[in-house]
Amino acid sequence: MADEKGKEKIRSIDNAAITLIEKAQKENVSTVFFRADELKPCPIGVEESCCKICGMGPCRLPRPKKAGEEKDRAGVCGATIETIVARNFARKIAAGTASHSDHAREVAETFLKTAQDEAQGFAIKDEVKLLEVALDYGIETEGRESREIAIDVGKKALEQFGKQDGELVYIKKAPLKRQEIWRKLGVVPRGIDREVVEMMHRTHMGVDQDYKHLMLQATRTALADGWGGSMISTDLQDIMFGTPVPILGTFNTGVFKEDQVNIVVHGHEPFLPELLVTATHDPEMKALAEKVGAKGINLTGMCCSANEVLMRHGIPCAGNFLQQELALVTGAVELMTVDVQCQMQGLQDVSECYHTKLVTTSDRAKIEGAIHIEFHPENGLDTAKKILRMAIENYPNRRHAVYIPAETQDAVVGFSHETINYLLGGLFRASYKPLNDNIINGRIRGVAGVVGCNNVRTVHDSAHIAMVKELIKNDVIVLTTGCAAMACGKAGLLTPEAARLYAGSGLAEVCEAVGIPPVLHMGACVDNSRILIAATALVKEGGLGDDISDLPAAGAAPEWMSEKALAIGQYFVASGVYTVFGTTWPTLGSEKVTKHLFEEHEELYKGMWAYEPDPIKAAGMMIAHIDKKRKALGLDKARERVLYDMAMRRALD
Amino acid sequence: MGEYVYEEKESFDGKKVKVLGPTYEEGKPDAKNDWEAKLGSPEDRLNYLKTALRYWYSKDWFGSEKRKQEA
Ligand code: SF4
Repeated sequence: MADEKGKEKIRSIDNAAITLIEKAQKENVSTVFFRADELKPCPIGVEESCCKICGMGPCRLPRPKKAGEEKDRAGVCGATIETIVARNFARKIAAGTASHSDHAREVAETFLKTAQDEAQGFAIKDEVKLLEVALDYGIETEGRESREIAIDVGKKALEQFGKQDGELVYIKKAPLKRQEIWRKLGVVPRGIDREVVEMMHRTHMGVDQDYKHLMLQATRTALADGWGGSMISTDLQDIMFGTPVPILGTFNTGVFKEDQVNIVVHGHEPFLPELLVTATHDPEMKALAEKVGAKGINLTGMCCSANEVLMRHGIPCAGNFLQQELALVTGAVELMTVDVQCQMQGLQDVSECYHTKLVTTSDRAKIEGAIHIEFHPENGLDTAKKILRMAIENYPNRRHAVYIPAETQDAVVGFSHETINYLLGGLFRASYKPLNDNIINGRIRGVAGVVGCNNVRTVHDSAHIAMVKELIKNDVIVLTTGCAAMACGKAGLLTPEAARLYAGSGLAEVCEAVGIPPVLHMGACVDNSRILIAATALVKEGGLGDDISDLPAAGAAPEWMSEKALAIGQYFVASGVYTVFGTTWPTLGSEKVTKHLFEEHEELYKGMWAYEPDPIKAAGMMIAHIDKKRKALGLDKARERVLYDMAMRRALD
Repeated sequence: MGEYVYEEKESFDGKKVKVLGPTYEEGKPDAKNDWEAKLGSPEDRLNYLKTALRYWYSKDWFGSEKRKQEA
């Protein structure tokens, strides 16, 4: 499609996406790309200069168009623009935290049912992680059966949501200095639900009307996500489904197979996807597929559901957020399941244009017109088989010519923080020391977390890839999750060979010695908690200061779009990380609130926000921050670069 | 793996450095690297946590925070 100036609009850097967008256009199928052309962002809403939380409004208070015309802006009730912008921002953080944490609650409930033998098809798979989490929760383990320990872990995890006072249990995993900062500022979360509820209360009409005070509670809420809900999800999912270890995976829409039954699991919770993996191996299902003329069953994933089964089973990933509708445009998808978060309602219309059955599976999320088959762990495997059967029986109903783009890319995924620790030092000498040493000796300049969504307001995947390439070229190792990780996978950055092709000399040398990619796929969006733990391990190992804020490290979400991303960003900033967001920024309506987040947060948390839509400039800002931290640690001075070879690594084993 | 391969390159701070080439095996893995499977017994697991994950689970090893613990 051409823009107003007649130029062909670039929508993606991914050829598979581009060809499917063209197919959708030819077939007159509405997708997010075309809807975005027709619906421009509201200019007042985009800077959050609008309040609609009471019936006297909405109060629209845009910034003056011309410089020099600034005046104090306030709503009918007298709420200042600072209060309004901070309130809007805080509510987004509350929604993001609620999303990750409601996912976590489902995980904890399913975990408890699994421990009590009430969940069909699930088991306690990872005994090591069970022991680890039991130690975190202070649960007695000696001489006890795994099942008994798991029941206590499940109950303790559920308590984290409804606790009214004290501190969340994972807070004590953070560096000691960080804990002190949080306690001094009064932002240690007491209970996950309590912080979200209090945030909603304080942003109701006529309650907390001091933007700095509002942001303190927003921080406490975000910390209840990163060091609460998200961490609970990661840990308990690891116990039930296995802590990720390196595994070969494949990315992009080319993973569909023309002569097989194609199923896409989309959303965030890994329960049904895990059982679909089991069900696809059932001989009865295989026979049924043969009966309808298919050569097999091809289970694939999309968004974070994909990340979960990709890193544990090597299930191929058909694409990231902006490819969800495009996957159906291939005409090759028999059935797509969706559970919670990031699933566009537009999927239903697209599915009706083809033969695809769209199935909602969570009791919390229906889509009008979609088939609803609720997933409950008590009969989980039966439900998985029912859905799989429906997909297989739909195979003969393909009514469009199938077009599957050729693009696929292999990658190595599954870098949990435990696996990184193991790869660096071996089983019993597992250690972050080689990483710290190589940061100290300058081979690795620093560490960056590049995470987050796709956003149709920027060219699909372009900001992720430009930023990540710029970082690794400058010897910054990248940890990635979510849709950013998938963008990296599709672009070939998650292979050990990528080190030679794209990384600076020092980073390439370390990656090639250890046999790891320069960009490490750490999982789904809830697994940003793995990055917090890896950062803490770097601190505790020694030599790089005594807090996360001392590390030569930075974070970014160049294509963010969801409220969850803002919650993630706020907990990274509050954990001491300089965090740069791209595409758009939701506090520009108030200079004071923006200054508070971009500058004054550094005084409070030693981490702060930044906004830069140009990914190369944003990477430059991250590198400048990393160099600032290197200088503060005295690492800018010339140091002997000890050659890090296999013999030295073996000596550690 | 035969002889190591070294190359001369420039580091980010502009210095010439000698770097080691790839030392990992060529090709793609056909199974996942399930290193945790080596931990068979409960004692092995606890020992692993106390050594490998000493950052949190060892009583006498606190890395950069050792001084703080003693104070
Ligand atoms: S709370 Fe105040 S600013 Fe917001 S809509 Fe009501 S009157 Fe307007």
